[in-house]
Amino acid sequence: MKKLVITSLLIAGSLLAESSSSFEGRKGVAPATDSLYLKECGSCHFAYQPGLLPSRSWVKVMENLSDHFGTDASVEGADSSKILKYLKDNSTEKFKNYKKTKSIYDSIATTETPIAVTKTRYFVQKHREIGCELIKQKEVKSLSNCMACHTKADKGSYSEREINIPNYGRWEDE
Amino acid sequence: MVKAVVALLMVVSFMQAYELNAQMKDFMNSLLTEAKKQNPNLKEFDYARGEKIFTAEQIGKKGNKISCVTCHTADLSKKGLNENTNKVIEPLSPSANSKRFSDVKEVKKWLRRNFKDVYNREGSAQEQGDVVTYIINKK
Repeated sequence: MKKLVITSLLIAGSLLAESSSSFEGRKGVAPATDSLYLKECGSCHFAYQPGLLPSRSWVKVMENLSDHFGTDASVEGADSSKILKYLKDNSTEKFKNYKKTKSIYDSIATTETPIAVTKTRYFVQKHREIGCELIKQKEVKSLSNCMACHTKADKGSYSEREINIPNYGRWEDE
Repeated sequence: MVKAVVALLMVVSFMQAYELNAQMKDFMNSLLTEAKKQNPNLKEFDYARGEKIFTAEQIGKKGNKISCVTCHTADLSKKGLNENTNKVIEPLSPSANSKRFSDVKEVKKWLRRNFKDVYNREGSAQEQGDVVTYIINKK
């Protein structure tokens, strides 16, 4: 009996240790899962994970959808509120246990409200060595087109070994 | 037997893809009523006027030439490409993509957004009806 208790305690302990370590050390950002968000925002562009920007940034983005980076992206009232709630509930502040989210969060001053992850200090620093011709080429066009090079960006994964830049190939940071 | 039924259903649904569903018919009728209020001489929506709306180049917000063709291409049965984001746009023609022109809420949303992007204003009821007539009937 004693053995059984000890064994089960050991198993429970190891389970706990495993779940807490994976909880603390998650890479990337939490994947975007909300079906309304994926449909409404993902129909025109990559569905950026909410954990790429702080809450105040999402508010600003959603308040200006009729001029969204030069395009009318307006969404009717009820849908707009639902999307904003999802974005705020899952913004950088909520997912600092994800490595990339934390890095982005830490790079934004509290006085700043960036409306694009491409404008955050962490992002700019990470992409600074990529040549203009690789960005401007028709397969990529812009740094906001994550999936062009980060082959698993839609899973919230931006690791270096998954990078495949069109007409260039793998990217290795020194 | 099951295969034959499925095949038959597919053929039937393909043939009916050109016919708008009830909610879309209601929407087109309400557009026509509205358009007639603004233009009492109007009889019905017109394919040729719609084609002009779809293909005529305008100067876009960024100073570049833009028309509906820019992103949707001239062949509506083919996939298009969003100029700004490089995202693939599924075919616009309901004969190639049965989801198109089946949901009034979606249709209204895209007419509003896309008129504003290309023409920098919303489309009138007549313009909306004409352009939809063109898109759903273009072979």
